[in-house]
Amino acid sequence: MDRNPRRRLDAIRSGCTELENNAIDEMLSGKVSRREFVRAGTVLGLSLPTLSAILAACSSATSTNTGTSQTVKKGGRITIGHQTPSGAMDPLLTADVGRLTILGLAGEYLAFSDKDLKLRPVLAESWSPNADGSAWTFKIRQGVKFNDGTPMTADDVVATFNRLADPGLKGNNALSNFAGVLSKGNVTRVDSTTVKFQLDGPNGNFPYLVSSDNYNAIILPASYSGNWDRTFIGTGPWKMKSYSVNESVSFDRSPTYWDSANVPPLDGIDIKFYADEQPAILAFQAGSLNMLSSFSVRTGQALLTDPNTTVLDIPTSSHRQVHMRTDQPPFDNKLVRQALAIAIDRQAVIAGLWNGRAQVANDHPIFKMFPSSDPSVAQRAQDVARARSLMAQAGRSAGFSVTLYTEKVGEIPDLAALVQAAGKAIGITIDLNVTDSATYYDKYWLSSPLGITDYGHRGVPNTFLQAPLLGDPKQGTWNAAHFNDPAYDALFQQYVRAVDVSAQRTVTGKIEQLLLDQTPLIIPYNYDWLTALKKNIAGVETTGMGHLNLRKTGLTG
Amino acid sequence: MLRFLLRRVGLALVTLWLLSVIVFLASHALPGDVGRRILGPFADPRSVAALDHALGVDRPLPVQYASWVGDLLRGDLGSSLSFHVPVAQLLGRGVVNSLKLGMVAFVMVVPLGVLGGILAALRRGGLTDRVITIAGLSATIVPEFVSSIVLILVFSVALKALPISAQVPPDADPLTQIYHLILPALPLVLVLFGYIARITRSGVVEALDADYTRTAVLKGLSWGAVVVRHVLRNALMPTIAVVATQLGYLIGGLVVIEVMFNYQGLGQLLYTSAQQKDFPLLQAGVMTVGAVYLTATLLADIGYSFVNPRIRLGGAE
Repeated sequence: MDRNPRRRLDAIRSGCTELENNAIDEMLSGKVSRREFVRAGTVLGLSLPTLSAILAACSSATSTNTGTSQTVKKGGRITIGHQTPSGAMDPLLTADVGRLTILGLAGEYLAFSDKDLKLRPVLAESWSPNADGSAWTFKIRQGVKFNDGTPMTADDVVATFNRLADPGLKGNNALSNFAGVLSKGNVTRVDSTTVKFQLDGPNGNFPYLVSSDNYNAIILPASYSGNWDRTFIGTGPWKMKSYSVNESVSFDRSPTYWDSANVPPLDGIDIKFYADEQPAILAFQAGSLNMLSSFSVRTGQALLTDPNTTVLDIPTSSHRQVHMRTDQPPFDNKLVRQALAIAIDRQAVIAGLWNGRAQVANDHPIFKMFPSSDPSVAQRAQDVARARSLMAQAGRSAGFSVTLYTEKVGEIPDLAALVQAAGKAIGITIDLNVTDSATYYDKYWLSSPLGITDYGHRGVPNTFLQAPLLGDPKQGTWNAAHFNDPAYDALFQQYVRAVDVSAQRTVTGKIEQLLLDQTPLIIPYNYDWLTALKKNIAGVETTGMGHLNLRKTGLTG
Repeated sequence: MLRFLLRRVGLALVTLWLLSVIVFLASHALPGDVGRRILGPFADPRSVAALDHALGVDRPLPVQYASWVGDLLRGDLGSSLSFHVPVAQLLGRGVVNSLKLGMVAFVMVVPLGVLGGILAALRRGGLTDRVITIAGLSATIVPEFVSSIVLILVFSVALKALPISAQVPPDADPLTQIYHLILPALPLVLVLFGYIARITRSGVVEALDADYTRTAVLKGLSWGAVVVRHVLRNALMPTIAVVATQLGYLIGGLVVIEVMFNYQGLGQLLYTSAQQKDFPLLQAGVMTVGAVYLTATLLADIGYSFVNPRIRLGGAE
């Protein structure tokens, strides 16, 4: 680095906080890559111009552009096939892709978590933590209007988050993110442009919890009192034109949209809801849809090779967890759990069930896509001979019988059959009990000796590390494996407090090793999010969560 | 005649009452908890219990049944648990949509089936008879989801001749609506054609062999006059009964067709409400389908009694 960039960098650094300087040090020392630095910087609240300036000063060029280079024309409408919402359109109750995508079209978040897990400022212009990451301050964008014409203020932000942190509200889904992190009343207005979040404890990944990753958190007016589906109120670029329950929703470009530099080229979008995937794929193939917001490899195999279709493929942290009850025989012995885990041929599972559109995972939820994952931890591979010897060491060489309970969702029944086959190879006879989701979650999920559960995407692994793995039943609310290890719980607390990536990584390495050793869960893969576009549209941005950013979308031909 | 009618209506009401008991018990036998269904799998069990209590679904079954039937009799169908809108609103749309699709299929299949049956009977044992009987029977046993996919692939994806979606904008003119309903009606035509043709055929064959037909021929009537005046009038009675029983299916039983063509009729509504354990919607929907079935059979009975006085008189004895 020559002297001039060094001086430029020093000038930038003098305006940065201690945590931000720490992140810059980590990049300069090579502990984190430039890409990871950009991501970590966005979490700490460094603006993209500042990040670009730092990278330029380090004589690096980086691109944060996620759009496509194809030019689109102004005007026109597109039709999108989308999963039927599973209930009333209500930001507080939303817990499914059917609804969250719609929320994100009409509404906006303080920040947008993109497909690379970078945070992009939206309704917040910038943010910064205090020294230990226990309080975060957000600068709120001015000049933003809701689609009914009223201005959005810091008070609206305060009211939105105090509502989402309220455990007294019926069906409040945001609590899955905020319980134990943010308490009601601890979001306060500092001044007309600043909002402060006083957390229950230090949390290095907090900005993700107010971003599109926490899909319930679209900013609503302070006066909001329910019935969102009558107004679809929000600050987003799309204003609801008509909505018919279970059938369709149409949006026009919002005339009051604040971001004049990013006014969408399209006049509007029409979304048709599909209760089943097959008809949606057929309608897309027949040309009555311009876009399919998502499809599975199982049903949409034909789209993957169709020359008239563009497939957007995004790796996500969506995955399946095979839990084994660690508190009762036969899976109370970790050797038995390890044996089943290494009896599975993950590569074959991915090739067979996902046509390669998934990544091999290592029985812990800190997937390789997360910057905090420790690349030095070895990947577990199939080894049937060792699995048999582990069974013998555990005194189970004669094998045993057990029932695997799971739900009829996507490829899960096939995965269950593959686990059954893997078990057979080492003497475990596995009977399958596959039911609908409601029955599984109601009757079997948390009580079954062996089961498979679906987990949706998160931008950071915090929720995956907390709810299914912590011993304390208040925090480990989804702990189907009944895993209870004080050493793990302590490591988890260290991880949550760690504000920068390299500090997180020293802990995540230990967590990964511990989970490999204990194996309460088998996590064979995390899979991709697939979206299909006709060749006549471009400029679509998707995320692993299922959000659609259509600000730059338009027709090309 | 009045007594016959009263007895029929009375029986229909008893059937509806029995249906209400069965629907109520069956929907409560569905696995899963209402509160859990609404709040999602990850909700705190305490919130689930609180919501169950607020909704009243934790009360004893007889109490819940009495309050449900009471509301039903007052015309209050309640509010959808999943969508937070009045059940009547969702059901109204479903019934109208189902009626449209059912009518289009009905208008296509009944004349086709009856004509096919008559033709087969008149050419009994010949090639036409065999083609109609075997093709009709084969089409009947193809499941709707298979015929739907094949029809969509041929007419929508490959030929682009017919629209794939049955749903049209609410302000579309009637012709556009019918145009969109042709493709979804075709699998129904395939299912019902063979059935209606077979019943018509056997009715016509029986009538052709009857003494009165021989008498009519022997007294010198033209063959056309014999068929129209004597054969069909007697032969079509079983067909009327069969067609009437299929009306209920056409209006409330088209789950697969409605899902495949993404059409918001009663069938799809019942399917999603069962999946979501949306009791008020599910129960009101099943009762509606039941009422449609019973009305159709009642009307068929009445129509039948006009054509065949023996039934009417027998009832009046």
